[in-house]
Amino acid sequence: MAEVHSRLIRCFSSVFPTLTEAQIQSADFARLIDLDSLAAVTLVTVVDEEFGVEMDLDALLKLGSFAALCQHLSEEAVSSASRSTED
Amino acid sequence: MPLELAEIGENYGYGPFKVGRQYGRSEFLRGTHPMKLLEALEVVKQPVVEAAPTRGISLLCGFTPLHFKTFLAAHLRTNLPTSRIEIKEGLFGDLAGNVERLQAAGGGEACVVVEWGDLDQRLGIRSLGTWRAADIPDIVESARRQSARLTRLVGQLAESGPVYVSTPTLPLPPIFTTPGGRAHHAECELREIAASLATSVAACARTRVVASQRLDEVSPFGQRFDPKAEISTGFPYSLEHASRLAELIADLIRDAAPKKGLITDLDDTLWAGILGEAGVEGIAWDVSHGAHVHGLYQRFLDSLASAGVLLAAASKNDPVLVEQALARRDILLPRSKLFPLEINWGSKSRSVYRILEQWNIASDDVVFIDDSPMEVAEVQSVFPRMECLLFLRSDVLAVWNLLKQLRDRFGKCEVSSEDQVRLQSIRTASAFRETLRPDGTGTEDFLRNAEATISFSWENGGRGSRALELINKTNQFNLNGKRFSESEWLNLLRGPDAFLLTASYEDKYGSLGKIVVLMGTTVGSNVCVHSWVMSCRAFSRRIEHQCLSYLFEKTGVTEITFAFAATPRNGPIRSFFSELLGRTPAANLSLPKATFEARVPDLFHRVVELKSV
Repeated sequence: MAEVHSRLIRCFSSVFPTLTEAQIQSADFARLIDLDSLAAVTLVTVVDEEFGVEMDLDALLKLGSFAALCQHLSEEAVSSASRSTED
Repeated sequence: MPLELAEIGENYGYGPFKVGRQYGRSEFLRGTHPMKLLEALEVVKQPVVEAAPTRGISLLCGFTPLHFKTFLAAHLRTNLPTSRIEIKEGLFGDLAGNVERLQAAGGGEACVVVEWGDLDQRLGIRSLGTWRAADIPDIVESARRQSARLTRLVGQLAESGPVYVSTPTLPLPPIFTTPGGRAHHAECELREIAASLATSVAACARTRVVASQRLDEVSPFGQRFDPKAEISTGFPYSLEHASRLAELIADLIRDAAPKKGLITDLDDTLWAGILGEAGVEGIAWDVSHGAHVHGLYQRFLDSLASAGVLLAAASKNDPVLVEQALARRDILLPRSKLFPLEINWGSKSRSVYRILEQWNIASDDVVFIDDSPMEVAEVQSVFPRMECLLFLRSDVLAVWNLLKQLRDRFGKCEVSSEDQVRLQSIRTASAFRETLRPDGTGTEDFLRNAEATISFSWENGGRGSRALELINKTNQFNLNGKRFSESEWLNLLRGPDAFLLTASYEDKYGSLGKIVVLMGTTVGSNVCVHSWVMSCRAFSRRIEHQCLSYLFEKTGVTEITFAFAATPRNGPIRSFFSELLGRTPAANLSLPKATFEARVPDLFHRVVELKSV
């Protein structure tokens, strides 16, 4: 979880370089996307690239917050790891 | 942790080369993996040096530039760390219009990225245009017309500055009636149209076209298109493809100066076998002796020499035997192309040192090649800035990749007439040095009897000009070490007060070609020289004195200002000014005509003024 957290912070910082870590963690995704839709598309792509998950803007909006996204990506990582050991 | 620029540069192949790096498999490629979007974003947000000059580049394409723009910015930041790059975009879906609008706005440096949808919208997937069999001939004809239009527009745009072009890189959509594995006639026609576009554009002045073969090597064809991104955002490229294509375009923009000389070993490198053991007839470079890669290497070196690259040999060997070996009638690299030959039993680094002295060029402009890791390491330790590479004779693929690597290092857009005479002029310079008596008293006699002619020409410095090439690769006799991109150079020369003077030299020993470039401005009675370079091949002939004499005479001024700045490598021009001024030259120095005339030595040249270009 801690590793996912730091990687996700890196993704957000690269797309929104003016936000502090605290601002990233408390960000409201809907507002962020409203402010800069191009950056939002870039964020989705970077998260997709970094974590290897299929993600789109709607999914990001549904998750709503940094904590929820972090939780989602951690679960995806666990699920992916267990799938890879099933065989 | 974000990567530092230098670290990223190293990862992507821009960092210093490893000692004796072996180019096996695909290691010659710029990086083992493409730059990721996250890395690109981090590179782009690194601060630029405050004093960095701004360089505006227009990115013209029909799709949403999105991540491609980010990758291009990141690769340019890595390639050109001392420039502040500003990338301007055009409008979505109108490539030709974007080119026209930039041209109407005054033009400038631009990247034109063409995809199939720019030739006909029906070849993209966003327009939902008809793909019926009956429409295919019309699609082809429409693409042909649009390609011709783009060719014309790019040619016009290139008159205002360099244009970097990529022709369609993506797969065609499945519109043809044949199964995918069988080429449809219309598909072949479309590919021919794209190839013709590349051919025509490449012939334009000031254009550089991405090599599709290199792109194929670094970006797998089947993994380039991202239909999901194309539909949702209008961005058609996979991230990997966007990164690789941007990297190649950034390389075109950087236009790295080519290396100047190559020093090769002989035994088990230029030929197979140890000459001292096998004898002259025992060495080989043909397929029947299992030595074909050496023949290939000889042919390649011959090709480099024909493009003006200096070649020399450094070998621990018997000089008499080497001469006999190089005189063999079946040798593929003529003996005359190698100068000098350093054949002795001393250390390789001493031989390399003597070769560099003869060539009078710096070690970082030279590549050294040897089959022995120990020799490579020894030379590398003495010349850390020289690129020292292993010749892995037992690995054909490694040799093949080495040749490709060498072409990258020595590649140039055009082969000039100066390239053809370079070796001869170095031989002449060497002969000249040998005629001098140790006390230097032979100089006057030599110069008086050299039958030298200097031809001056006032030029406009257009594309492909020798002037910019010389400015950007000369280190020693260089007023201030300033380098220019093609667009910067053209902008400077467009100034109403700018002048560009070049000089060519010839004497009874041969021609040196165009060896001097002097660029400056004249405002009223003030002449200021901003750039002044002279090829190191032209040293010791008082050509630099004749240049000033000519400039004083033609401008009629009593004093000339020089934008001089000392650099770590411009000692020769520093000495020149020291002798004229009688003191160490300061930055932005002024030289009165009276001072010059009091100290100029006798000049024996015949001066010719060529018609202005």
